[in-house]
Amino acid sequence: MSVNLTIQLKRASKVYHEGETIAGVVVIDSNSDVRHEGLTLTMEGCVNLQLNTKNVGILDAFSSNIKPLNLINTCIELVPPGKIPTGITEIPFEMPLRARQAVSPGYPGLLETYHGVFVNIMYILKCSMKRSFLNKPLNVTCQFFVQYQQQEPPPLKPVRCEITPSTIRASSSGSSRASMPHFQIYAEIDTTVCPLDKPITGKIRVDECSVPIKSIELQLVRVETCTVLFSRDATEIQNIQIGEGDVCRSRDIPLYMVLPRLFTCPTTTTVNFKIEFELNIAVIFEDDYLVTENFPILLLRSR
Amino acid sequence: MPVYYEWKSLKIQKSIKLTHKSPRFEVSNHPLKANIMTMRESSSVSFMDHLNKWSAGFEEIDPLLKFERMELEEDFQPGSVGKVDDFVTYSKAWSMKRTKILNKYTTGEKLTIVSSFLPGGEKALIRQVSNLNEKVKNRLEQLDDFDEDSVRKTMGLSQQEFVIKINMLNDEIRKAWDSEQRVKAFKICIQCSKMLCDVNVMQFYPSKFILITDILDTFGNLVFQRLKEKSFGNIDIKNAFDVDPKQVPEVAKETCQNWMFKMASIRELLPRLYMELALLKCYIFISKEDVKPALARLTTMIRGIGIPLVSVYLRLYLCHVASKLLGNDSESYFNDNLKEFLDEYHQIFHPMMRKKYETQLLTLDKYLSLYTPAVDWLLYGTLNNTKKCNDTLLAKLLERCSEIENNELLLCCMLNEFDSASIIQNASTILEIIQSSAENMVMLNDTLYSLGEHLCTADNYRLVASEALIQTWWKITNNLKSTVSFLQVLEPWLHFACTHLSTQHVNIILRGTIRYMIKCDKYPDEHYGHFQSVVKRMLKAIPDVEELFLMDAFMPLLELVHTSNARTLLAKTVLSIFFSRYNGVAIEDHIVISSLMRLCCTLHDSINAVTVEDEIKLCSDLINRFVQVISYQNDLEEQLNFYVDCRSSFIKLDAVLVTLVHCVNALAARATGVKSKWLQRACVAYCFITVPSLRCTLAKAHLYLLSGQVALLNNCIGQAEANFKALIGLIPDIPEFIMEDGQKKPTNVKVSGILSDFLSTLLILPDNLDSNCKAYILSGLIKTMDRIHWKKTDSLYYTTMLQILDLLCAMTQENYAYNIDAVLSNDKLYGCDVDFIEYIEKYATSICQDLLVVLKTLGDNKETKKQYNLALELFWRVIRRGDLQERLMFSLAANLWMLSQKLQDSNNKIAKAIMTVLQQDSRPISQQLLKKLEEGVKN
Repeated sequence: MSVNLTIQLKRASKVYHEGETIAGVVVIDSNSDVRHEGLTLTMEGCVNLQLNTKNVGILDAFSSNIKPLNLINTCIELVPPGKIPTGITEIPFEMPLRARQAVSPGYPGLLETYHGVFVNIMYILKCSMKRSFLNKPLNVTCQFFVQYQQQEPPPLKPVRCEITPSTIRASSSGSSRASMPHFQIYAEIDTTVCPLDKPITGKIRVDECSVPIKSIELQLVRVETCTVLFSRDATEIQNIQIGEGDVCRSRDIPLYMVLPRLFTCPTTTTVNFKIEFELNIAVIFEDDYLVTENFPILLLRSR
Repeated sequence: MPVYYEWKSLKIQKSIKLTHKSPRFEVSNHPLKANIMTMRESSSVSFMDHLNKWSAGFEEIDPLLKFERMELEEDFQPGSVGKVDDFVTYSKAWSMKRTKILNKYTTGEKLTIVSSFLPGGEKALIRQVSNLNEKVKNRLEQLDDFDEDSVRKTMGLSQQEFVIKINMLNDEIRKAWDSEQRVKAFKICIQCSKMLCDVNVMQFYPSKFILITDILDTFGNLVFQRLKEKSFGNIDIKNAFDVDPKQVPEVAKETCQNWMFKMASIRELLPRLYMELALLKCYIFISKEDVKPALARLTTMIRGIGIPLVSVYLRLYLCHVASKLLGNDSESYFNDNLKEFLDEYHQIFHPMMRKKYETQLLTLDKYLSLYTPAVDWLLYGTLNNTKKCNDTLLAKLLERCSEIENNELLLCCMLNEFDSASIIQNASTILEIIQSSAENMVMLNDTLYSLGEHLCTADNYRLVASEALIQTWWKITNNLKSTVSFLQVLEPWLHFACTHLSTQHVNIILRGTIRYMIKCDKYPDEHYGHFQSVVKRMLKAIPDVEELFLMDAFMPLLELVHTSNARTLLAKTVLSIFFSRYNGVAIEDHIVISSLMRLCCTLHDSINAVTVEDEIKLCSDLINRFVQVISYQNDLEEQLNFYVDCRSSFIKLDAVLVTLVHCVNALAARATGVKSKWLQRACVAYCFITVPSLRCTLAKAHLYLLSGQVALLNNCIGQAEANFKALIGLIPDIPEFIMEDGQKKPTNVKVSGILSDFLSTLLILPDNLDSNCKAYILSGLIKTMDRIHWKKTDSLYYTTMLQILDLLCAMTQENYAYNIDAVLSNDKLYGCDVDFIEYIEKYATSICQDLLVVLKTLGDNKETKKQYNLALELFWRVIRRGDLQERLMFSLAANLWMLSQKLQDSNNKIAKAIMTVLQQDSRPISQQLLKKLEEGVKN
């Protein structure tokens, strides 16, 4: 006897906005009649905050996982206890996606799904089939994604900058290099307020550079802050190459980065944690010498 | 039965003879004349076909060179692809381009392939360009090592092996795709496109590009097909733009979006761009409007590629993808990419690139030639539709050319792609640009070559500026350093000069060429192939091929070649092209004659003991053609002198000697009148002396006969007799078989042909009164008959004997059936002298006897059919030519008829015909015979 339990969402993208109804079917595929003590469907959403391994030593007293922050938790009964016949049975369901009404302090409402290193925001549907005393209940989960409603597009906030040896801060360049090559690089980002569904665009121009360039890269970085743990960590999300080899001088090279799904979300600030994003433009010279310029950016769910 | 029958010939009365006289009537022209004309026409064609049969193997000295030539010819097809507005045009042009690139860009260097999906190869630690810190990197690398698909690097691959590996990867992608491992397929693709970053074996790069883009195309199609199936099932969609994004189900859209996100997160630029291009047509499933902006964006993003070779090929791929997807709408992308390319043009000559190609031991021109397929394609696409503003584009580009440094690549590619008409219009401007930077142009020869080729296609009107063009061109070309390039450039320009300028101009160029060749102190032997093609081209291009020899620089030009081998080949080329193009009837000009003679001598002198037979045939044919075409009109003496010279010059070639004898005989026949008596004798003497030096006895025999006949015609009795005597002496020596075209062929038929011809000539040959013997030559022949190797029972033998019998009968007549006006034949000479007749009849008797013996032998050998035929033939002779009044003849006839009737029924056609004739014969003796025969049959 084998029972197969799956959840199928109606929407292929599995992306839902607050206020929408999540519709789908639970499919039970069995080669014999199944007796059960009820079929329930739970919708769960929570924020997981994780400790940075670097800090573990200091904060040994805490458990490595902080208790997840619950965002949503509703449960409905799909089928009362009974028997499910042989074959494929589809049980349709509908569940509204709504934030909790009774607001406790610090409750941020429904946040967008986000997969980070130290902060994870996840939503799952869990279907559970309770069975007779001796059998374990059958569980199946299905992740779905929550996105904010699209906002009106924000006004563009372009930034321009020039990167020359003199603009390089001592901290990033380090003192390892006695003489810095001569270079003059101009970079421009079309807007620092970026809609998530649109690529980040801009341009970079190498006006002068006395040494050959090896690569020009665009790095997307997340900055996750956990107020409870007093930690702030910047990690790379993705790093894509914009220029390969010694690029032509005095030519605008477009910057173009598609923001990855799941790993990005609108810039979020809550009582307990913050998710922010930054952009680094890195110019790597032939000898692996690296010059970077940092741009904090604001990500938005907008058109 | 009496065995001995004495032959008595029937003397035909004059009155009877009259009835047998052939009808005569006046004709206005010679019945064979028209035939001769058509012969000439057809011969010029068949002559070349004939030559080509064996010459193909000798034309080119080097098969590799031939291959190279072929490619050059292929390369030069500006706008040859019909510019029909269609997707097909692009794909056809592309596939042509594809094969051309694969053929052209090859390498013997060792190649390296980096992939995690191929078996074997050492584990490589790929140092990724990243700004991760060193520690993290190391850890990641260690992790990689345990990963099942760790990157392996296979080094030292030959080109062949490389291609095999690439094909393996291609298969791997399909396999992975079919086994639901789509991400693996995707990864293989990324790794493949990464290989295009590597410019280490540069001269293979274009081919590598083609191989890898094929893989990418495969992958793109797989993704597209799957999305299509997800959306519409198995519907056949020809054009990607037929997909309506609104009808695409959400699932397919989601899948497509996933591919796009995956692609967008590829870290490295080049693979990302290649993958986006490979997946470009899948944008259709999301939104049609996305495609064009994406192409525009990619066009600018390619700027990020620092290595110009890599970037230009990426642009090439972009245009290829665009043209496949958008057809003619893609033209603007071609144009944009061309512009981008031009803006980055100077990058090609970046010192870093120079370092790269120099370490790979490439020269600048080799390096630049790597760019041409890509730039050509960009230009091709740009030009495909902008026909209307081609001229403005050309003008713009030319302006650009004159502005930038190192403009050769652009110029060269422009010349490759623009149509001839526009190029010709701007020829002087182009030439000026070339001139201004000629000194440090490395692709100068290619550029000039292409320009020249364009000019050659100009219509046959005289270009106003052609003189100026040639002058400027000469200034540039004369300073070329390499002889090969000089010759290469010379080829089309000489063609141009030949078609557009006067002979003097061409001559000046030829003189210049000689000076150049001498100056560079290198004989053209080393560059023989190029030199030959220059000469060939000139010969083919010049409107009047005879004029070439009238230029004082042409022959010295040919003499530039020093080794005898090359000279021979050159002479052969010149002669064969000359004769194939020459369509006059006779060459009279002395300069031309002597030049041709010289060439023919070169050809002849090259022949030695080891020369193959076909080669000899070819040479002979060429020289024969020469001998036949030379004419000194009415100066017959000069003509004969020429033939004498020819004989001494071409003594090694039998075929030529044969032709010479024929020619001289023709000359002798032409020489009429008393004054030319000596010439006739000289001609006969010439033949008589020439013939013995031939090797083939059969040919000798034939020529003796012919010469004798001509001598007889000219009333040179002594000479004729000498010829005939020689012929008779020769007959037994004719071998039974001769080799002809590598096959053994029996000579019987030919010999019998010669003999019957000879016999009919003998009738009119007067006897040599100095000798005692009557019918001297004939008796010699009869004696010789026994010595011929034929078997007595061979039909050829007894037919000839019958013919001799015919001749003997004809000789007994009072007036011979035919005669030559000037020659006194035996009928006049002896005037039916009884002695003579008796003498002749003695011969007839003996021959008749011989025939009877043969008849018996045939009977013994049970060769009934032959026996029957011979009996009938002999019977016919007896009743027609024999005197039946003689008792013996009468009984011979009767006996022969009996014999034939015994052997076979008289229903035979010939027998019936004979009987009919006999019945119609009004002579009493015939009736008597008829009666007897009928009686005999009854008995």
